[in-house]
Amino acid sequence: MPTREEVFAKIKNALVEALGVEEDEVVPEATLVGDLGAESIDFLDIVFRLEKAFDIKIPRGELFPEDVLTNPQYVQDGKVTPAGLAELRRRMPFANLEKFEQNPVVQDFGNLLTVADMCRFVESKVEITD
Amino acid sequence: MRFEGKKAIVTGGSRGIGRACVVRLVREGAAVAVVYHQNRQAAEQLLAELSDARGSVCAIQADVRDYQRAAEIVDQLLQQWQRIDILVNSAGIIQDGLMGAMTPEQWRDVVETNLFGTYNYCRAVTQPMMMQRGGVIVNLSSTAAEFASRGQVNYAASKGGINGLTRALAKELAARNIRVNAVAPGMIETDMSQVVRGLAGDQIRNAIPLRRIGKPEEVAAVVAFLASDDAAYLTGQVIRVDGGLSLGGY
Repeated sequence: MPTREEVFAKIKNALVEALGVEEDEVVPEATLVGDLGAESIDFLDIVFRLEKAFDIKIPRGELFPEDVLTNPQYVQDGKVTPAGLAELRRRMPFANLEKFEQNPVVQDFGNLLTVADMCRFVESKVEITD
Repeated sequence: MRFEGKKAIVTGGSRGIGRACVVRLVREGAAVAVVYHQNRQAAEQLLAELSDARGSVCAIQADVRDYQRAAEIVDQLLQQWQRIDILVNSAGIIQDGLMGAMTPEQWRDVVETNLFGTYNYCRAVTQPMMMQRGGVIVNLSSTAAEFASRGQVNYAASKGGINGLTRALAKELAARNIRVNAVAPGMIETDMSQVVRGLAGDQIRNAIPLRRIGKPEEVAAVVAFLASDDAAYLTGQVIRVDGGLSLGGY
């Protein structure tokens, strides 16, 4: 069972390899898209690397639920509807959605996830020791 | 020896164009896994023929329509090889018939084998190729994708789908240094084309500017080029190998 530090170290390594960023850029508050330059295919790459690093299975769409953001049921006029926000909260308990909820423009969603969110996501998948 | 140390999968590799691709890759040093469907004897003959070649070859029986099986084969090869450098999707069938008489089975068999089969193996190698930051996929299309022939709606649709898949996937994977191209053969001397050649041999020959039917080896040479570093700056293309058949005009 890894410690929180070990989880962070492995995630840092996965992000350095997947995104080609420097180690010191990968800090907990860094956003994956805005600060680390991740594009949609990078999320797939990151998922592959997390699966390998932690020996876990991550169903596609769990870390980044693109299907919600492309579903007309949850998106109107470029914004996520209240039902969509509820679905995102349900699907992404590891992410802090408060800021996004104030003005839920779909295009801004990609810039929401931080390295800290990713750590919480992985911690929900593996048993952590203190 | 362009493929020394390279690891490759060739579907439909026991016969026709796929077989010629296997011979070419192995003779140029690659380790190749041949995925064949029904003709075990042909696969064994191929292995025997290549026993003294520079590279190595093994044969795996599978129906390319089986998504799960494709994933298992790639996993198994990764355990052995640790990487997959080249995928050649060559498995393909024809079941010609005029639309008014085409059964759903004829439609489904052709589209599932040719197009879904290509998807299944592309899908299976995407993750390892992304992780290793490199790889090459070559899909076998056909000039039938763009030039109409009566009785081939299923085949034309499947090959047109392959062209679209090739271009979209090339764009998706380019940032990971994975190249995806297709080769579109015209009339080639294979078992698959023998019925058409038999029915309209001279007529077809006269329509081809180079005045002859192509050989599987001549298609394999282009596949090998695309799979090699010689084509390092080439992705998302569909290359016609048809003796000029598609040029049109007089």
